[in-house]
Amino acid sequence: MSRLSDFNRAPEFRSRFRFVSLCRLALSLFAAFGLVRLVRAQEESATAISHVKEVFERAAKAVVKIHGVDEHCEISGTGFFIDPTGTLYTAYTVGGEAGNFTIDFNGKRYPARQVLADIRSGMAILKTDVATPALPIGKSEELEVATPVVAIGYPLDLPETPNFGMIAGFDRKYLGRYFSTTHLRVNLPTQRGEAGAPLLNMKGEVVGILVSSLENNSACYAVPIEAAEKIRSDFVRFGEARHGWVGINVSEAAKQVEGSRAEMTQIMDGTPAAGSGIKPGDILLQVGRKKVHEPEDVLDASFFITAGDTVPITVMRGNEKLTFNVQAELHPASQRPPLIASPTNQAIPLKLDSEVQRTP
Amino acid sequence: MDEFNDNEIGKLLRLKRYEQPPPGYFENFLHEFHRRQRDELLREPLWRILLERTQGFIFRLDVRSLTSYPAAIAAVLVCAAVISLKIYQEPGAANVVALQSGPALSTAVNAEGEWTLASPAATRIFRAQPLRSLNESANTHRAAIPPRYVLDSVPVSYESTFRF
Amino acid sequence: MEQPKTDEDQQLVARTQSGDAAAFDQLVIKYTPRLYGLVYNMTSNHEDTNDLLQDIFSKAYKAIRGFRGKSSFYTWIHSIAVNMTLNFLKKRGRRFHLSLDDVDTSIQNDKEFLELTATSSPVREADLSELQRRLNEAMMKLSDEHRAVVTMFHIQGMPHSEISKILRVSEGTVRSRLFYANRQLQNYLDEFRKNPVG
Repeated sequence: MSRLSDFNRAPEFRSRFRFVSLCRLALSLFAAFGLVRLVRAQEESATAISHVKEVFERAAKAVVKIHGVDEHCEISGTGFFIDPTGTLYTAYTVGGEAGNFTIDFNGKRYPARQVLADIRSGMAILKTDVATPALPIGKSEELEVATPVVAIGYPLDLPETPNFGMIAGFDRKYLGRYFSTTHLRVNLPTQRGEAGAPLLNMKGEVVGILVSSLENNSACYAVPIEAAEKIRSDFVRFGEARHGWVGINVSEAAKQVEGSRAEMTQIMDGTPAAGSGIKPGDILLQVGRKKVHEPEDVLDASFFITAGDTVPITVMRGNEKLTFNVQAELHPASQRPPLIASPTNQAIPLKLDSEVQRTP
Repeated sequence: MDEFNDNEIGKLLRLKRYEQPPPGYFENFLHEFHRRQRDELLREPLWRILLERTQGFIFRLDVRSLTSYPAAIAAVLVCAAVISLKIYQEPGAANVVALQSGPALSTAVNAEGEWTLASPAATRIFRAQPLRSLNESANTHRAAIPPRYVLDSVPVSYESTFRF
Repeated sequence: MEQPKTDEDQQLVARTQSGDAAAFDQLVIKYTPRLYGLVYNMTSNHEDTNDLLQDIFSKAYKAIRGFRGKSSFYTWIHSIAVNMTLNFLKKRGRRFHLSLDDVDTSIQNDKEFLELTATSSPVREADLSELQRRLNEAMMKLSDEHRAVVTMFHIQGMPHSEISKILRVSEGTVRSRLFYANRQLQNYLDEFRKNPVG
């Protein structure tokens, strides 16, 4: 008759026992590890959620409701402070074509005045004379598709409201119409009154200004903060936005040359490019620091040129790579003299020559 | 009554009157219209605008006042302005031509719809008019007039052609 | 829908022609809802309607100096609207998609709606939004010209005489187009009633 202890002492049994124990130990360790990971994951997601709340709570004080009066009626939008002396960023549609501005800040209403409005960038700068909190400026270049973002706005007649979503894309155009610079497309719900809202990364830094909505307000476009900062820097240097201009028309080349399909098809007379040595037919490779691969790339390059700057332009001509330094002048669209606004401020009945063109 | 008769067709069609655009649409319409007018104005060559102004001015005057001193001076000034601006306008004219003959970038075929406005970056024109009261329309849903809550459906900034 | 008082329009037109842009704004405010209905029901697309309305008022503003008052402003601007919409539809061709506006909830208080849902079996059996869709599809199957008369007569409530002035055809033509279009719509909707699914 064998006893249990006899079995235990048998060599194969002992090794099997060791093996099973090791397995059990491994399993327990694995389970413990898994549990720790689960707890940490829960903590992380709880942290992510609490981050949004944190971002909102810290930033909301610097976001204000803007009231204005345009030529028809009162308007209402959103804006935010970017320095402690009451300088506000908002969308052009809020701060650009209205007057009699007031803002709701800290439970009180303060007057504000327009400092600058730039239709090309889609933003406006207002100012109020009071000490204010300010949002730190971030970098939209650090954003990627699916990066989470927070927006804070004043929808309709409601108080400051957080919105949470993510970067959906970096768009050059919408419904066939090109933007003046790449816009951030964001999948977060927006409501009327939120034009001018700040778009924040999870560090609480501003990376964009909300300017318009798409598709039943389920997504929106934001102007990257770098574009707004460019305008502000122009203002600090010159007192106005200084869009630069070199005088070259670009279109799609028949063949790709050195990685670029951007052909300079027209050098306009009387422009800085005219005397520079650049010739029609040259393939554009780089403008300033921006590399060009297709005609669309010229939009961003163009937007960030300031009149007066010297812009290095690199082209491919035949087999030669050439660089020309061209001094940008003021963009013709900004040159329109104010004669257009007549003293009596009437719109002019224009004669119609032909049927209004509708593109098919 | 198994089939639709004329009467019923009529009633069903009349019910289509209840298909209405989203709230705020009609209030926003005039605003969009003015913005478009300003955009179109910027695309006109200056000399043409001045010509229209002059025509309008003359149209509203009677003949006697045309022979007055101020009118004569005004006419001379206008001529001088037109001539000098025409000279100044040359690059602008080239731009307008470029806009019209450039590649069909702003007219990309897209089943969603295309934008035909092709206005370059613009300075703003502010038409300072006193507040007007808006007529109540039967189809709008307003009691007292609330402010217009701003959020456009398309960004204001755009380029019509690739140039720098 | 009754025609507006022509003297008010005449005053606004006169003021616009003498340079008062605010007067034209009044005309825009007044006519936008009416013209919206007209253009939307011809195109069944909200976005296209918006673009067209902008074009229509833009054209009207440019042409108003030449408006001599031979017809009423109402007829004149409806003419512009119908013609621009028909031109647009010709260019758009068969490549379209419906972009329908929501039905306002006040429909539930409409006498005719209540009658239809109470008595008529085709309507009672169908879900309202499905019916709306079917009706819009049936409308799109009509030719552009037939859809125009159906819209003007049934939806906008314009009399035959007004429609004939706008389209520059005889009243007889208007009546016969309506008759034909009604038959077409009946056929399409009967098909739906017989095959309610799909």
